[in-house]
Amino acid sequence: MNSFKNFSVKQKGKNWLKLLIGAVALLFFLAILNFFVSSVKNYFYALSSPIQKTFWSAGESSSSFFSSFLKAGSLLEENENLKTENQKLFSQVAFLQSVEQGNQAQSEFSASCQNNGFKFVMAGVVGLDDNDMLSINKGSADGISEGMPVINQQNVLFGKVFKVYKNFSQIILISNKSSVINVKIMQTDSSNPEIDGVVKGSGGSSAYLDLIPIDKDINFQDVLVTSAIEKYFPKDLLVGKITQKEKDDQKPFQEASIQLFFDIKTADNLFVITNFKQAD
Amino acid sequence: MSWQKPLLIILLFYFFALLQSSFLAHFSLFGTIPNLVFTLFFLLVFFIKKNENYQAVFFAFIAGIFLDIFSYAYMGPSIIFLLIIGFLLKKTQFLLKNREDNYPFVYFLPLFLAYFIVYQVLLMVYLRFFDLSHTLISFDLRFIAGIVYNLIFASMFYSIYKKWAKSIG
Repeated sequence: MNSFKNFSVKQKGKNWLKLLIGAVALLFFLAILNFFVSSVKNYFYALSSPIQKTFWSAGESSSSFFSSFLKAGSLLEENENLKTENQKLFSQVAFLQSVEQGNQAQSEFSASCQNNGFKFVMAGVVGLDDNDMLSINKGSADGISEGMPVINQQNVLFGKVFKVYKNFSQIILISNKSSVINVKIMQTDSSNPEIDGVVKGSGGSSAYLDLIPIDKDINFQDVLVTSAIEKYFPKDLLVGKITQKEKDDQKPFQEASIQLFFDIKTADNLFVITNFKQAD
Repeated sequence: MSWQKPLLIILLFYFFALLQSSFLAHFSLFGTIPNLVFTLFFLLVFFIKKNENYQAVFFAFIAGIFLDIFSYAYMGPSIIFLLIIGFLLKKTQFLLKNREDNYPFVYFLPLFLAYFIVYQVLLMVYLRFFDLSHTLISFDLRFIAGIVYNLIFASMFYSIYKKWAKSIG
């Protein structure tokens, strides 16, 4: 009986020893793997990029096909809302046309200062993960480095470059939970002064507006653009619009729900601004 | 295992990793994308026979590598978490035996739910404390939506696997 017990204890001891050796070997292997992580990931992305791009496009078309069925019921309501919105926009266009003539020269100059100075690298979107991280098929070999702003052709801000590999990069979207950007609120009534706030990511391609002084009046559909005090992004990039105000007089600041302008599902190509100098 | 089976499993994990990071990104539910690699890993480990538990290490290793490669985090956390989950799952199944069918759906779904939550929590803790991005830990609507979405896929995978296993006898 005793010899059986001894055998059992010895066997258990051997199993623990095996487990310990296995764990040490695994940690050693992972340490080595992380030493070459850039090359390993870059190799896999380079290999997978064409397939991922095909899957991305297939997903985009399938998603549009299915959503046309799902949204069929709400199309009538959406149409009515668009008509109302269109009327509002017409009145604004009339107002802006008169302002435009006077400001045209100044606007062109501002636009050229804003845009012409920037160099872009166009990149294709190949993937998205659960943490609001986007993968693009351009990397350090194309002049991309960490922290560079990423926009689309309509000047809509997507985020900034988070990690760069030789042939691909990972973009942290402005909806990522760790993202905070300074914005200014362009009010529908242009006679009102601009209001500063911050857009904080809440995950799942959504974000909210925060730190708006309680005494400031914000409105539904007010547009948010990046502020001049923003450290990581050029000013006046489109961010989103206000969808709901959340004002509580007990708090020093008010919050608002916003709809971000970027749409991952239709983003095929993005532009990385390669020569924007970040403020120190 | 013959050499074809591991190769097929590696290719299947790779295909699912590509599918979830590109195609399924367009079918997100509250911003969550189904984790096909984890679901496949769980399914394979769940159906491992008693004397072939060593296969769980292989599945954890392959699934973990693909999950880590297609994430922005360092290499390793998913491999370790899946090894832990694989070990715990087999232990739980060992305690739950006593039925004619050792792999019933009534075991599969609750176990998947429990271990998927364990995996998500481990990942959130890792990303919060060991990764540069400082992703916040939160148990919100998105977290619940992610679980429900993955449960749907897990149920589908289970019934496909069962039918396939039945067809090959």
